Amino acid sequence: MDPALRAAATGMMAQQTRTEIIANNLANVNTPGFKRSRAHFEDLLYQTVQDQAILGQDATNTTAAIQVGRGTRLSGVQRMHEQGPLEQTNRNLDVAIEGDGFFQIQLPNGETAYTRDGSFQISDQGQLVTSAGYGLQPPIQIPIDAAELSISSTGIVSVRRGNDIEPTELGRIEIVRFANPSGLMSLGQNLLAPTAASGQPVVGFPNDEGMGHLQQGSLEGSNVEIVTEMVEMIAAMRAYEINSKAIKTADEMGQIANNITR
Amino acid sequence: MPGPVRTNGMSSAAAAMQMLERKQQVLANNLANASTRGFKAETAFARLMDNQLAKTDTALDLTAGSLTETHNSLDLAVEGHGFFVTQTPNGERFVRNGSFRLDAERQLVDERGNPVLGEEGPFVLPAGTVEIGNDGTVKVNGRVLQRLRLERVADGAQLLHEGGTQFVPDASRQAIPPAERTVRQGFVEESNVNTMSAMTDMLAVLHRYGAAQKALSTIDAARGTSVNDLAKPV
Repeated sequence: MDPALRAAATGMMAQQTRTEIIANNLANVNTPGFKRSRAHFEDLLYQTVQDQAILGQDATNTTAAIQVGRGTRLSGVQRMHEQGPLEQTNRNLDVAIEGDGFFQIQLPNGETAYTRDGSFQISDQGQLVTSAGYGLQPPIQIPIDAAELSISSTGIVSVRRGNDIEPTELGRIEIVRFANPSGLMSLGQNLLAPTAASGQPVVGFPNDEGMGHLQQGSLEGSNVEIVTEMVEMIAAMRAYEINSKAIKTADEMGQIANNITR
Repeated sequence: MPGPVRTNGMSSAAAAMQMLERKQQVLANNLANASTRGFKAETAFARLMDNQLAKTDTALDLTAGSLTETHNSLDLAVEGHGFFVTQTPNGERFVRNGSFRLDAERQLVDERGNPVLGEEGPFVLPAGTVEIGNDGTVKVNGRVLQRLRLERVADGAQLLHEGGTQFVPDASRQAIPPAERTVRQGFVEESNVNTMSAMTDMLAVLHRYGAAQKALSTIDAARGTSVNDLAKPV
């Protein structure tokens, strides 16, 4: 088969993957704490058709090596961890992280997952849990007679109990940081798991060195920007189209060659 | 010097067709890599050597691609000339694609997992905020680790393309003085493929290919006439 046909076909497949990733970004434009992804591509091995050659006897007239590439392939999908916009909800269990950091969530299998989605609820046991019902780590127990729950920017959770005038401190939310948050693996449900690429979590309190601070009554919106995604989608569509044109051109050349003998 | 090779029209036309096929392969590879970060397009052109037949030559187009902001502290782009240096199993390689990351040992690696080299060798980054200056100095929490190696080749030097947007450096490689560097943190360089010109090039290839084929058929028809008709008894 004509190598031009194959190279152009890899280009079409790459643009298709890129579109799938854009579609997932757009589908999550209203998902709190969602981070958009971007596809990475790399070129395939090159065929050296002719090595560097010396033409004249005086070795002054040399030609460079002739190399023909064989297309492209997906080399990775990178999550982009820029801050999403903070949306004010005025709900006292909604917490956004402004800056670096992730909440720690206990999964039913005992493992810890990480999220930026701070739309918490109170479980039937009085614990602070995510919207999927997984508990926040370290656990924060909210007594039944609690009122006016407040979460400070440094993570201190306090309530007023019964007829007390002074608030009672219930605990402190800890957040973690990763060397390379893009290396985290998505588990779905807004949860992320550490991998070798992300590095190990560094635990700290909000607003400590390098950590972001918390904002009660707000949620971090998705960092997907519709306009950017649309531009990417147009670029992907055009690149797909132009690769199909390369296939068509290679095909027509084949037809012309076949017409040499009629 | 060997004398010019006598060519006939038929082999010239066939050589032209082969050259154009090669050019189409190069264009298809460029277009397939229109969204590959740090990719450099190949240009294919014909070269007429000592009156011999036309041959294809390829050259690397080293013009810069556009920079995209990613806000990722380990995404780096070089403005102007220059390459990052990585250590691969086959030796040192040049890359323009600066989407770096950390591996399990917290070593700074490129997309393929090859260590990125600094002036004192590979990097191990401690936890903290990574800051990379214009001259490639890597700081973590304000403490200087070492400077990234940034090299360039002489004008007109031919770099070999290897897969994975890596280039094989040639003998003219040299380090860029720190004052002449512009490393941008939080940016990546896009592919430098110009799809518009590739499109018009492809049309031109197609039409020239058709023309060369016509030339070949015409010469064939003329030969047919001389072989079949001239000798015919009247």
